[in-house]
Amino acid sequence: MSRRDVFLQVARRGGSFLSLLKKLWQHPKGRIGLILVGILVLVAVLAPVLAPYDPYDVTQRAAKGLRPNWQHPLGTTITTGQDIFSMLIYGSRVSLMIGVSTGLALAFLGALMGVMAGYIGGFADNLIMRIVDVLLVIPTLPLIIVLTNLLGRSYFVIVLVFVAFGWTGLARVIRSLVLVLKNSNYVKAAELAGASRWYIMTKHILPGTSHLIIMNTTLTCAGIMVAEAGLSFLGLGDPTAISWGKMLAEAQGGGALLFGAWWWILAPGAGIFLAVFSFMRIGIVMEEIFNPRMKASSSIYKIFKHLNNTYLDEVFRSMEDEEADESTEQPDRSNAPLPGGCHD
Amino acid sequence: MKRSYVIKRILYAVFIFFVVLTLNFFIPRLGVRDPAERYYPPQGAMSEIEYEIIKQFTREQYGFDVSTFQQYIRYLQGLAHLDLGSSLRPGSPRVTELIGQRLPWTLVLSVSTLIISLIIGLLFGTLAAWKRGRWQDTALLNASTISVALPAFFIALMLSFYLGFELELFPAYTNPNMVAEFDWSWKSIQVVLNNAALPIMSMSLGGIVGYSQSTRNSVIAVTNEDFVITARAKGLSHTTVLYKHVLRNAMLPLATSIGMSISGLIGGAIIIERVFNWQGMGTLFLEANSTNDYPLMMGIMLFLSSFAILANLVTELFYAILDPRVTVGDKR
Repeated sequence: MSRRDVFLQVARRGGSFLSLLKKLWQHPKGRIGLILVGILVLVAVLAPVLAPYDPYDVTQRAAKGLRPNWQHPLGTTITTGQDIFSMLIYGSRVSLMIGVSTGLALAFLGALMGVMAGYIGGFADNLIMRIVDVLLVIPTLPLIIVLTNLLGRSYFVIVLVFVAFGWTGLARVIRSLVLVLKNSNYVKAAELAGASRWYIMTKHILPGTSHLIIMNTTLTCAGIMVAEAGLSFLGLGDPTAISWGKMLAEAQGGGALLFGAWWWILAPGAGIFLAVFSFMRIGIVMEEIFNPRMKASSSIYKIFKHLNNTYLDEVFRSMEDEEADESTEQPDRSNAPLPGGCHD
Repeated sequence: MKRSYVIKRILYAVFIFFVVLTLNFFIPRLGVRDPAERYYPPQGAMSEIEYEIIKQFTREQYGFDVSTFQQYIRYLQGLAHLDLGSSLRPGSPRVTELIGQRLPWTLVLSVSTLIISLIIGLLFGTLAAWKRGRWQDTALLNASTISVALPAFFIALMLSFYLGFELELFPAYTNPNMVAEFDWSWKSIQVVLNNAALPIMSMSLGGIVGYSQSTRNSVIAVTNEDFVITARAKGLSHTTVLYKHVLRNAMLPLATSIGMSISGLIGGAIIIERVFNWQGMGTLFLEANSTNDYPLMMGIMLFLSSFAILANLVTELFYAILDPRVTVGDKR
């Protein structure tokens, strides 16, 4: 089975967003992910109600370095006596906000670039793929550090920088899918019927790629959350907000390791883990729903590339490229049926 | 291998290099204000002329007396002599010298991380592919999911806490005298290995899991190829098929990834180096960033990206030698 057939089969499985949620809920692993994300959203929204103490209150001298107890479920910091449980609750806001907003913006930009490169082709394709090549060799983390330093330490800047330099992965995937879709019979039929390029792009090509976009966005959210924690850990996040990465940096700077305050390190770590894990679960289950032949292991690479381990992605990129190229060169022999996404 | 393919790839790499070079020059410069204003705010005791002279002098010292474009030309001229300019640190050390001092220490971490994760990853990956669908495979999948969700610096902090502070097996922070006292004696090598243990462990974890996964998938992909089925049909033993037919081909994409791996690891070591205060390129970059030392930042970024470009090129050419199909059609 060529990659092209797999793509078309996958495209057919995409349904409306609601039916996707339903499928996710019916999948036992997906249900766990959905519940966890739901809890995370609730915690982030209701943070002021849920937090037992003011996490910004740094004047609790009597409560410094308390171990987890009934008053302070996760203990307090040893430097200023802030309640770690409250900090953890407030920290979820930053992770969720950055993760989701970057994920959505990336999905938009990546899909736009991918569809333009794949469908318009020619000069646009060349230009976009050259930009991708350049962005791939520039070391991402140093560049992000430089830019956050230049443009100011706010979360808006972080999102902006993540979006500006993170769209290459999605654009590549979308491009190779669009190259397949472009040669399918229904797009050719639309072209013959005199449909404009814009119409075909928005009505035929984009719906065909929607499943990939949704799936990638979920996995990107997870990857960005890890990356954001790293940036905050380096002290490049918003200095006025509480985030899990910053909590870890404060813990290290405040001597949590030296004085054995394990609760100060474990709590934010567990927060990052749960948030990333739940988004990843959903992404992996989505991949299983869309493409039952593909096993969960393959989707893990999509997250790896948002971490520092770009090299792992590199291995598969080279393999995927060849497959995609082979499949696009094949003439369109089979009667490709309409992808399900088109009916929505 | 076709010669035209080689020339094409090299020219393309040079083109990418120039684009990156230009971006590298202009991006850090966006944040650089006139050094004269920065270092000498107007002072009451100085006369207007004295003040102008000192400002002009500072501008010349930092190369800001000409337009940005001329500075760019100057930068290119310097680069032709492999000169990346001098840092803004006291004593104006050359950027190349600073990078040269710190690079070996980062390479200690990244190369050993790469070797460890390759070896263990190959073992685990082959095992998981061989026992496909059984508990070994599931365990690997679960380990991957968990390790992706745990940031490397968190793992580093936990290792530093338990193995460093609680059990006192390894130093939890890098010995600050390690670099200065290093003299190739057996004792100093031991000190380095001891100090590098925790950073390498925390960096390897993600790599081990990643390489295991990619080995697993690559082995499974090769197992389904016709020549493996033929080998089986011929009645060759399982181990012969595994070593001679499957693994050799499955390792091809892994082998070609090594170049990119190193460049990714050098850039990615920033956070881990920060956790352990390891005196490598990562900490050098963070120091440069916090002091706005833009020649140094530009130098490090250029070094990292040229390394990546070179690694990319070598990988592509190497791949073309190993797999002649690549050169037939234009890949991009």
